[in-house]
Amino acid sequence: MNKYKKLKATAFYAVLLLIGLLINLPIINMVGSAFKSSKEIFTNNNLFPHHPTVENFKNVLERTPFFQYVLNSLMVAIVVSIIVAVVSCLAGYAISRYAKKIKFFKHYSSLFLILQMFPGVLLMIPVVVLLSDIGLGDSLWGLILVYVSTNIPFCTWMISGFFDGIPSEIDEAAKIDGCNVFQSFAKIVVPLSSSGIASIIIFTFINCWNEYMLANVILKSQDLRTLPLGLQTFIMQFDTDWSSLMAASTMTIIPVLFFLIFMQKHIVSGLTAGAVKG
Amino acid sequence: MKKKRDEKSGYLFILPATLMLLGVNIYPLVRGIMLAFTNRNFLYPKKTKIVGLKNFIEIIFRDKEFWGVLGFTFFFAIASVVIIYLIGLCIALLINREFKGKNFFRALFLLPWVIPSVVAANSWIWMMNDQTGFINTTLMKWGVIKEPILFLATKHAAQLSAIMVNAWKSFPFMLLVLLAAMQNIDHGLYESARIDGASRFQCFRYITMPMIKGISVVSTVLMMIWSFNNFENVYLLTRGGPARATMNISIYTYNLAFYRNQWGYASAVAVVMMIIMFALSYVYRRLLRTQDD
Repeated sequence: MNKYKKLKATAFYAVLLLIGLLINLPIINMVGSAFKSSKEIFTNNNLFPHHPTVENFKNVLERTPFFQYVLNSLMVAIVVSIIVAVVSCLAGYAISRYAKKIKFFKHYSSLFLILQMFPGVLLMIPVVVLLSDIGLGDSLWGLILVYVSTNIPFCTWMISGFFDGIPSEIDEAAKIDGCNVFQSFAKIVVPLSSSGIASIIIFTFINCWNEYMLANVILKSQDLRTLPLGLQTFIMQFDTDWSSLMAASTMTIIPVLFFLIFMQKHIVSGLTAGAVKG
Repeated sequence: MKKKRDEKSGYLFILPATLMLLGVNIYPLVRGIMLAFTNRNFLYPKKTKIVGLKNFIEIIFRDKEFWGVLGFTFFFAIASVVIIYLIGLCIALLINREFKGKNFFRALFLLPWVIPSVVAANSWIWMMNDQTGFINTTLMKWGVIKEPILFLATKHAAQLSAIMVNAWKSFPFMLLVLLAAMQNIDHGLYESARIDGASRFQCFRYITMPMIKGISVVSTVLMMIWSFNNFENVYLLTRGGPARATMNISIYTYNLAFYRNQWGYASAVAVVMMIIMFALSYVYRRLLRTQDD
């Protein structure tokens, strides 16, 4: 019986591992190719290199503006995450505390849900017009503005679900002790929700780090390119520099991997909270 | 008196979000809808005239490309959702138990979803390459195929590849949602069913499925809307080609606006798309309500 159980457990892990590898084959293939020399990448079609080399990584860092792309992306992602966290927390708190008492807030939260569903391309044209009207066309600040507004609806929705889990008796008690609404929010509710706030920050950061479509139509100058736009410059119609592209892509996913490994709980709880509660 | 002041601070709390949304979401939306009734061309902004419903009439009655595009968009969205749901459900059933290394495996399955679409699309293009790609060279080495498969160069293969890559990129969300729903099911239900002699399949059929039905409906509709809207996954993989075989409505709008410079017409297509989206999200909200009851 014991032997049977052990066998079963081994089979279970084998299946899991097999599915995991199969699913991540494109990523494994990408990382493997990144360590092949620019000659080996075309001759050796196995997943892993025979003679691993960091030549491609060196190339990307030394001969391309990759570092500039990283800086641009970091700047955009960090600024947007901070603004979104503040704005969404405020709005999410109001929705969580007043939606049951005041009809307006209930409708307001459904508006967020509807906005979440609008096709991105619908916004593309007028947003380009708007940004050039206010003098922010082709600038990182313009992109930041757009990212903030596209991330607010979902994050507000997510964090308001989180605030629902904090009993309102707690802020009532703070009010009796002489706090006004803002104080009880900032001193009591926010510290209690640090894990929810972490999820919306990570969520927004990853969104900004990964976004291609809007950045592609807003940014025109070469030195403003964010990482996804920068990666696309390695692709040319007939002659793509695959070794550099694979190395640059591998470096691009490092922060995302970091979040996934060390803060998986926040990603998972944040993302499912919104969707499951509806 | 105190209540009134409380209410007022509620409005203050939503002020920043409201300003942002009005300025950068709703105002552009309204402007986009207004553009749809003009013949605005990016190159000749001074010749802009209001043309009424002309763009819409053209889309519905004369634009042959539009109907083909819409057809593929629906096919793409429905096929994606079916595959996403099946893969999500199978893996969720597999890992819905306590075991060592659960977090590690969950992270492994989430990976496709959190990487940038640019990276995802390019790693697939590289792996599907006909001469040096891993799939073709390996299958040929094993003798499964004699000629390399042209994944992205023939019509049907490109359409299937686009659907597969989109499903690959999106299934982890479904997996997460279904897993969360399964973990909410009371364990006692399974135990008493087992005592009554129910088989594993019966447990799945009569306990798991009914319990995750609501969330399944909601998340598949949401996924449907996202696939319907999808731009990045398809565009970065195929650019809508070969010969427009994988052009969905988002790519079509994008090309109209940024290659043909027809901003007015492109906006009209986007508005038609928005109307279809409205219908879909209406269904979504109805389903949410029935789930609450």
